[in-house]
Amino acid sequence: MKGPDLTWYLAVAAFLFAIGALGVMLRRSPLIVLLSLEIMLNGANLALITFSRHHGQLDGQVFALAVMAVAASEVVVGLGLIVAVNRRKLELDVDKLSTLRG
Amino acid sequence: MTGWLATILVFLPLAGALLVWLLPIGRFAGSLALLVALAEVGFWINALTRMDFNRAGPAPNFDQQTTWFSDLHVSYHVGFYAFSFWLAGLAVVVMAAAIAYAFWVGRERPRAYFGLMLFLTAAVVGVFAAQDLLLFYVFFEAMMIPLYVLIGVWGGPGRMGATVKFVIYTMAGSLLMLAAVIVFGLSRNSFDLVSTEPSNSNWLFLGFAIAFAVKAPLFPLHGWLPDAYRESSPEVAAVLSGVISKAAIFGFIRICFGKFPGPFDDFRVVILGLAVSGLVYGSLLAFRAPDVRGVIAYSSLAQMGLITIGVFAENTAGVSGAVLQSVNHGLISATLFLIAGAIERRTATGNLDRLGGMGRGRPALATMLMATGIIALAVPGSSAFAGEFLILAGVFSSGWGWAVAGATGIVLAAMYMLRLISAVLHERPGPAVPEAALDLRPAELGILVPLVACLLALSAWPAAISAHSLEHSDGKPVLRELVPATDYRERTREQLLNELAAALKSLPPGSGGSLHEFVLDKTPAFAP
Amino acid sequence: MIVASWVCLFAPLGATVAITLGGTRWSRRAAGYLATASVATSFVAAGVAFFSILGRETDDRSHLSTAWTWLSAGNFGAGLSVLVDPLSIFMMLVVSGVGALIVGYSVGYMDGDDEERRYFAYMSFFVFSMLLLVQAGNLLLLLVGWGLVGLCSYFLIGYHHERPAAVAAAKKAFIMNAFGDATMALAFFLLIQRTGSLSFDSAFRWSGGVEGSWAVNLVALGLLGGAVAKSAQLPLQTWLPDAMEGPTPVSALIHAATMVTAGVYLLVRTAPIFEHAGRVQDLAAGIGAATLLVAGLIALVQVDIKRVIAYSTMSQIGYMFLGAGLGAYANSMFHLMTHAFFKALLFLAAGLVIHALVGEQDMRKMGGLRRFLPRTYIAFLVGALALTGIPPLSGFFSKDSILASALAAGWYGQLLFAAGLAGAFLTGLYTFRMVFLVFEGEPSAYAREHFHQPERTEPWLWMGLTVGVLTVGAVVAGWIQFAGIWTPLSDFLRPVAEPLVEPTGTQDFLASFGAVSLGIAGVAVAWAIYSARAVRVPAAGPVRALLEHKFYFDKLYDWVFYRPSVLLARTLRDYVERPLVLGSISGIAAGARRIGSEVTELQTGLVRTYALTIAGGVTVLALVFVWVK
Repeated sequence: MKGPDLTWYLAVAAFLFAIGALGVMLRRSPLIVLLSLEIMLNGANLALITFSRHHGQLDGQVFALAVMAVAASEVVVGLGLIVAVNRRKLELDVDKLSTLRG
Repeated sequence: MTGWLATILVFLPLAGALLVWLLPIGRFAGSLALLVALAEVGFWINALTRMDFNRAGPAPNFDQQTTWFSDLHVSYHVGFYAFSFWLAGLAVVVMAAAIAYAFWVGRERPRAYFGLMLFLTAAVVGVFAAQDLLLFYVFFEAMMIPLYVLIGVWGGPGRMGATVKFVIYTMAGSLLMLAAVIVFGLSRNSFDLVSTEPSNSNWLFLGFAIAFAVKAPLFPLHGWLPDAYRESSPEVAAVLSGVISKAAIFGFIRICFGKFPGPFDDFRVVILGLAVSGLVYGSLLAFRAPDVRGVIAYSSLAQMGLITIGVFAENTAGVSGAVLQSVNHGLISATLFLIAGAIERRTATGNLDRLGGMGRGRPALATMLMATGIIALAVPGSSAFAGEFLILAGVFSSGWGWAVAGATGIVLAAMYMLRLISAVLHERPGPAVPEAALDLRPAELGILVPLVACLLALSAWPAAISAHSLEHSDGKPVLRELVPATDYRERTREQLLNELAAALKSLPPGSGGSLHEFVLDKTPAFAP
Repeated sequence: MIVASWVCLFAPLGATVAITLGGTRWSRRAAGYLATASVATSFVAAGVAFFSILGRETDDRSHLSTAWTWLSAGNFGAGLSVLVDPLSIFMMLVVSGVGALIVGYSVGYMDGDDEERRYFAYMSFFVFSMLLLVQAGNLLLLLVGWGLVGLCSYFLIGYHHERPAAVAAAKKAFIMNAFGDATMALAFFLLIQRTGSLSFDSAFRWSGGVEGSWAVNLVALGLLGGAVAKSAQLPLQTWLPDAMEGPTPVSALIHAATMVTAGVYLLVRTAPIFEHAGRVQDLAAGIGAATLLVAGLIALVQVDIKRVIAYSTMSQIGYMFLGAGLGAYANSMFHLMTHAFFKALLFLAAGLVIHALVGEQDMRKMGGLRRFLPRTYIAFLVGALALTGIPPLSGFFSKDSILASALAAGWYGQLLFAAGLAGAFLTGLYTFRMVFLVFEGEPSAYAREHFHQPERTEPWLWMGLTVGVLTVGAVVAGWIQFAGIWTPLSDFLRPVAEPLVEPTGTQDFLASFGAVSLGIAGVAVAWAIYSARAVRVPAAGPVRALLEHKFYFDKLYDWVFYRPSVLLARTLRDYVERPLVLGSISGIAAGARRIGSEVTELQTGLVRTYALTIAGGVTVLALVFVWVK
């Protein structure tokens, strides 16, 4: 099997992860934050699969599937929360939602 | 039955407690508890007649052992050595007096109250009987639980603060001790106190020693003491200072000395220093304490310092004196706290400035307070004098400075005790003393007279305890005798030179090279 | 003999127990009779023991009898044992004899007091304690008796416990004596460490082997500390004058005849130890000489009749210390006995005066009482003459034999002899100042107004009778010994304490001549000043102030001991106990709460801050891993 080098895959994974992380930290809309989280998870997934291919073992792919499952349930909870916030007619801005302040 | 006596002494009050809690007897709870407590005293006296004070071998009297957790090598192992037997006797007598006093005064929620008192009795006797470390720990903690409740629920107005302080201090000590118990037991692969070999670990020693120092209490770990003694009801204060503190003395002798002779010796000076400071410090504060209970509380601090000095004198006189003085102090402070309770019932205050003149027309009160106070200040001839004399004689032989400081403490004891007696009994009646304040009632006398009678009997024959407090058992580490066989310090210079000359004369010819070792070897005067 | 001495010891204790347990079931009078009878029983038993010991060979006169082991631990033990030997029998006779007379006198004196039973219980307990002290068969038991007499002294000085002065005086006496007890106990600890025992024999044997070593000197010093405190010698003398707050018979029995002389008994009983610690023994003699002068001087300016007698007691005990310190043991014990008679007589006669004046003790308000109380005057005069040492009264024989021994004891003894002579002059002066002020001259206004003739009831007869017996005793007690010619007492005591000095006939004569002439000179000066009023008392302001303030010892102790300890106690309470020990626990709680409230500030509630923190944390971790690799 020939293709791009391992480094390229990892670079793409890191790039995706960085985009996601910046999104989480910089954007205010909870929806976009959730999207960015998904991008981070997928970056991590790409890295897992890359290593799995590289080492010729299936562990990484299994982990990637588990992460997808977690991501799906996370989205369910997250979207549910956003809908609940919206129902209460609160502003959809993570900086305004700070009632858990100590 | 002899073999079962230790177990009976531990479980009789426990069974009594369960009965009091479970049976719907309401106002008869007190009488049932008193009956159990008196039966306990009876069993103790029975045990006294069967006690073998010259027992050889490591096993204690009334030895009984059953496996408890076989995989951890924990067993239910009880029995009494001579010194712990006296302490147990003190416990049952004082607990009986305390229960009788509470019964006479009347406490709210009697079933809960008297059940707790009996539970406490069982735990204290258990502490003195336990011959397994984990069992000891269980009893030690079981002893604290009823006390927390007794102070926290039935105490005076400041009871919550007093309880919190008491809990924090004792918990801190207990946790250290628990860690030490576990490490010791697992490393020895047995928790048995009789059969395990001594250890040399400083850390384990400190774990135990700090727990006991808090319980005694030893200066400066006495932060819980003034509040606990002031806020609890008189009979609980009597038990706290008279009995509970002696668990620490038991621990010092049985565990710190018995299982850690090396560190015991290494830390001797530190603990002696703390004990002497506690003696002087407690005496001075007792001298300026504003109320009756304050004087008794700080005098207890001083007395516990003195008893600790005796234990750490590390010789027969010191330790025997400490055991004797433990019993004396237990009886004295219990009596004084109960008298303080009687005074507070009559005047609604313990403030010395507002008391006075109670001696005139109240001969029973005057006689009881006078007799106890006089014994407490260790007037020669009293049992407390006997105990203090042995303690100081013991510690003198290992360092005269300790004995001088201790003697200072005794002069100070005269000052604070006489101040207490005069402030209550003498001069003009204080503003808080009503003209109609009664003398001690027959019931109160019925409680106090046996305690004072015990003290007087001990004054007539202190050797009853002091000569029967350390068996000749090879299971315990051997204590140094008070008097060395020959004391070379006492020989004159000429005698020493003669001995040296004799040793040199007996030198085998041609052994010039080893002359130095020979002289050092043969002449005991130069032995370290 | 042994049985008699046990009976002698425990009879008074039996009376105490009976009176205490019986309480109000005893009538007041019956309690007094019981106490008197018990002490009289002791005297009879002591007499029996005395005659049975006289019938024995000289070397068979010392017997130890042990009832049970009182205290023991390991290889140390001390029994409840009595030692019966000439010295203890001599003391038993003095204590129980004078004791019986004074307790009998109390039946009259305390009549009408509302707590008589307590008084008689204490009195008989005191006699028991004192007998325990003199009969003790080992040093520990001696210390027990020593402490118990101090306790009784505390009880009896503070007998009128509604009077603050009495309570304060009682506490002061007890605490100063506790100090003496402590020094004795320390000496005993040293003895135990060296010999493992507190028996007299082992202590004496040991001291013989280590003559002059620091250990034996320390032991002797500790014993001397106890003796000085108990006998109110310098510098622990200040409690005795205050102790006059007690009832007068108490002053007579405890603070004149018996307890305060216990120090002398101790010096004689433990003479072998002191002989092997020569410097300490010399110190004891020096203390005696200093005390007899200081006390004699202070007595000159006292106005309270009982306090004058109290200072005179200190001064006379000074003579006994002087004698015992120089090794004239029998002469000291002789003076102890005669002093017990004439001083008890003086106190009891003073008690009659006080009784007749409804409790007044100030001599300035008395005067001319001779006319009202002729018999009391005679008794008092006999006591005063015996005290001054005028022949043929008892004081003359005993005091002069001490002075003669001092003259025979080298240059140091001669120095102390000079002090003793000066003391003899002072004795004559202060004693007859008192006699003239109280009895001579015109009756004072106060006396005329307040005097009441005591009714000749039965209690009064008790007082008169006992004073009469003591008067006879004060005259004849000295006749049992006349230096150089007739010495049964010295021979009797010789096996116990061999005297170190034997004065010659010339020395005896010189001492007697000097002492008597100076004593008479003192009386003459007193007559000139206080009776004939021919000479005025020199003003000498500063000296007077010094004497009236008793050489400022009370002030000194107040500043050196009492105030510092109060200050220290207060400092410890305010700066250590409250903030550090009691404050620590509240401090820990408050600290935890404050830290908690500060940490909550980190919880901002902003998701993006958390995210940034997580990212930062992960970055730091990653860098750490890279760096560690």
